[in-house]
Amino acid sequence: MMDNTLNNLLAAANQVILGKDRQIRLAVCCLLAKGHLLIEDVPGVGKTTLSHTLAKLFGLDYQRIQFTSDILPADIIGSSVFVADRQQFKFHPGPIFKQMILADEINRATPKAQSALLEAMEEKQVTVDGHTYPLPEPFFVIATQNPSCHVGTFPLPESQLDRFLMRIELGYPDHRAERELLDGRSRHELLNDLPVQVSVEQLQALQLAVNSVYASTALLDYLQAIIAFTRQADHYHCGLSPRAGLALLTAAKAWALMAGRDAVIPEDVQAVLAAVAGHRIRSGAGDSEAIVAPILTHVTVHEFQKVQHGQH
Amino acid sequence: MDNHLKPPVLLLLLSSIGLITLPHIGHLPWALSVLFFGLLLWRLLGIWRPRYLPNGRVVFALTLLGIGLLYKQHTEGWGKDAGTAVFVAALGLKLLELNKKRDVYLVSYLAFIVAGSQFLYQLNFAMAAYSLLVCCMLLAAMIAINSGQPQTKAALRTAAAITMQALPMAAIIFALFPRVQPPTWLQMNNRNQAQSGLSETLEPGSINRLALSPQLAFRVKFNGELPPKNQLYWRGPVFSYTDGTVWHMSQNDDVIHYQDKLTFSGKAHQYNLLLEPQSRNWVYALDMPARFDASLQRNGNYQLTSLVKPGEAAAYSLVSYPQYNTGYITKTEYRENLQLPDEPSERIVNLVKHLHGFEGKPELFIQQLLDYFRGQHFSYSLQPPLMENSPVETFLFDARSGFCNHYATAFVYLMRVADIPARVVGGYQGGEFNAVGQFLEIRQANAHAWAEVWLEGKGWTRVDPTTAIAPDRVEQDINVEMQAKTGAVSLTPIETHQRAGVFGLKQAAQLWNSLDYHWQHWIVSYSRENQSSLLAVLGIDSLLGSVIGIVASMGLAMLLLAGWLLRTRHKPEDPSVILYRQFCKKMAKAGLVIRPSEGANDFAVRVKTQKPEIADLIDEITRIFVRLRYHRSPSRHDLKLLKKRINVL
Repeated sequence: MMDNTLNNLLAAANQVILGKDRQIRLAVCCLLAKGHLLIEDVPGVGKTTLSHTLAKLFGLDYQRIQFTSDILPADIIGSSVFVADRQQFKFHPGPIFKQMILADEINRATPKAQSALLEAMEEKQVTVDGHTYPLPEPFFVIATQNPSCHVGTFPLPESQLDRFLMRIELGYPDHRAERELLDGRSRHELLNDLPVQVSVEQLQALQLAVNSVYASTALLDYLQAIIAFTRQADHYHCGLSPRAGLALLTAAKAWALMAGRDAVIPEDVQAVLAAVAGHRIRSGAGDSEAIVAPILTHVTVHEFQKVQHGQH
Repeated sequence: MDNHLKPPVLLLLLSSIGLITLPHIGHLPWALSVLFFGLLLWRLLGIWRPRYLPNGRVVFALTLLGIGLLYKQHTEGWGKDAGTAVFVAALGLKLLELNKKRDVYLVSYLAFIVAGSQFLYQLNFAMAAYSLLVCCMLLAAMIAINSGQPQTKAALRTAAAITMQALPMAAIIFALFPRVQPPTWLQMNNRNQAQSGLSETLEPGSINRLALSPQLAFRVKFNGELPPKNQLYWRGPVFSYTDGTVWHMSQNDDVIHYQDKLTFSGKAHQYNLLLEPQSRNWVYALDMPARFDASLQRNGNYQLTSLVKPGEAAAYSLVSYPQYNTGYITKTEYRENLQLPDEPSERIVNLVKHLHGFEGKPELFIQQLLDYFRGQHFSYSLQPPLMENSPVETFLFDARSGFCNHYATAFVYLMRVADIPARVVGGYQGGEFNAVGQFLEIRQANAHAWAEVWLEGKGWTRVDPTTAIAPDRVEQDINVEMQAKTGAVSLTPIETHQRAGVFGLKQAAQLWNSLDYHWQHWIVSYSRENQSSLLAVLGIDSLLGSVIGIVASMGLAMLLLAGWLLRTRHKPEDPSVILYRQFCKKMAKAGLVIRPSEGANDFAVRVKTQKPEIADLIDEITRIFVRLRYHRSPSRHDLKLLKKRINVL
């Protein structure tokens, strides 16, 4: 049942966003793993379309917040306004009180505004004037970021980057996809016609199912070998944190679930590795695939028990 | 009280301390023992009824009491008794003050000292094993206290493991640590504790007193075969002078300078003698010792004496020849060994005459006399009648029943009447063979007295008149039970006692004695000389060398231990991986090599494009492998299936 709904959903998404099958899968995977997604790319490659498509397909309340250099925290989370006839303050919720948020061009805002969003993402609640307001369930943030070489950007610090489960790059469409794009209907029209494929209840059930995906000792050995490699090797300035290790496992579980398996296999870990680890380990190399390439070539899958284990 | 002192831990601590002090009861003044165990019981009561514990003032009063007791009991000065008593008293008093962790440590260290001081009194194997055991308990208490967990069972297990691990280290240090002479105060009072053994005089009852004692006198291990039983005479003091009742040792020590040269013949016996603590410096060698350690000397009576102070167990290496000739007799010896307390009575002179004693044929007279003992209803008895006045005469004519010393003294007396130089030799005869340890155990019950006559051309010759009456006494292991029942001859009671047990018990007793022998031989009598010979074997010949040896061997031990602890532990390999590797090997032969980082599914995809003809098989193998390795509860059936499929390839 799950397979079919997810497959239908992916097929539908592929109709709108052409030639980005892998990125769509990763985005859905991120959503199932209850993580937040960071998309980094030049403008105009379909970041907004992707997020809007996902919101439509999952039937989620959708809100886009355009980050600008003068945006204030209150513009994101809302503010208390004095109501004269009742003689008291009333909280006006900001755009963040929606199930799916597209935080567009997040690195154009000041660090203060950025952290307002990121704190809400972490805590799944907002506190204004001493009152705490819970954010809706599910709550999913897709943030887009211009490459930091662009003018007028405040790059997100590592600690903030860590809050995103995955970072993906969309990239330009290939030749065939580009032709189809130019040839076909407007994306906007397509979006409006999209039916809801997965209900909120189904999404929550899927998110629960992710937790029960099995990770064997052999798989955990492999995962730990990867983490150990990032910490030891000269390729990286700093290795994966324990939180990153957990994120990698959760993402791999979601990926396994999407592939219709109830156990994680090394290929699942490898599939999500670039997206999960790419922005967490500091490295000279640019894109995520290149960053994790040494891991994929050096950490062995089937013989890692020959790697020395300490005493347990 | 700190919360780390939970009742079970405290109970363990207190009981181990009680057990540690228990063996000291034997030599502590009784008042001090009462004080200590009273304090211990008080503290034990305090576990459940803390309010009954004394306050500071009472403890102070008790301390004064303890000091008073110590002062009163040990007025004679300092020694190991007083020192031990101080520690025991301090330990007992400190028990009432277990408030902080520091107090617990202090008590533990005091208890360790008390446990160690035990070895000033007893060095046998049983006591060593006991001390190790109780110290292990104390260690467990310390572990339980420090780990903060009142799981005494686990702590005991850990303590046992630590003790076992410490034993090899202790053995190395024991063997290599420079041995120092103990200070003199440690050697004090040892005489009290050494066993009685033979005395410097021979009285009518002096040997039968010993005959009831199962106490070990010494042990002998022969290199080579055992001499026959009738040659097992362990030579001790020689008695020449008599006042008619009591026999004394010869006081003329310088005859040795005028004596003829000893000549030996026959078979030599090489053996090691392990002497228990003795009150005298006599060493009982097999008659007659020819070669012996430099620490021994042979006196004019051919008795071996040790040059060092007696009182400690000692080991010697000796060579003896059962056949020897002492050559001529010196004038002093001649005179000494014809001495008679008074004129012999008419009855005695008549007896000697009757036995052809005055015919100048000593051998004939000896034979006649032995025959006389054999034929005239003489009997051998542990409980002869009292013979206070002129015991020789009473024995010969009235009692006609006696123990070995009666026969030996009467024999010597009659020889002297016949003008044949004769004397009484004390010592031990026989010994029980310990089959487990392959050595002889000679007990006090083996104490014996025999006669020695000087014969022209033969020198001093051993004659054992007891053999005429009870040849079994020396010939063989007699059936004691039988004889004890009939009451005919009551022999060495210790053997009766041992035989009473079932066969298994005797075996066990021999095993235990053998253990104790090796303990004495290898541990207790390990001396400076032993150590230097061991070091010589190891190529170390100085104290500095031995220190370097200790450091080096400890360093080596540490390295080995570290290596052992740090050695990488390989997990047992997953059987599915072993099988999958076979599959990969087969694929490699076909030119398809799996990349180290390639998952099974990815590899399968690659293989299938190259070998579409076996795509199904590869899919199946991959599926089973992934199921085995990454899925919940892999089944044995899958493993077999995987093996089968891979073999199909």
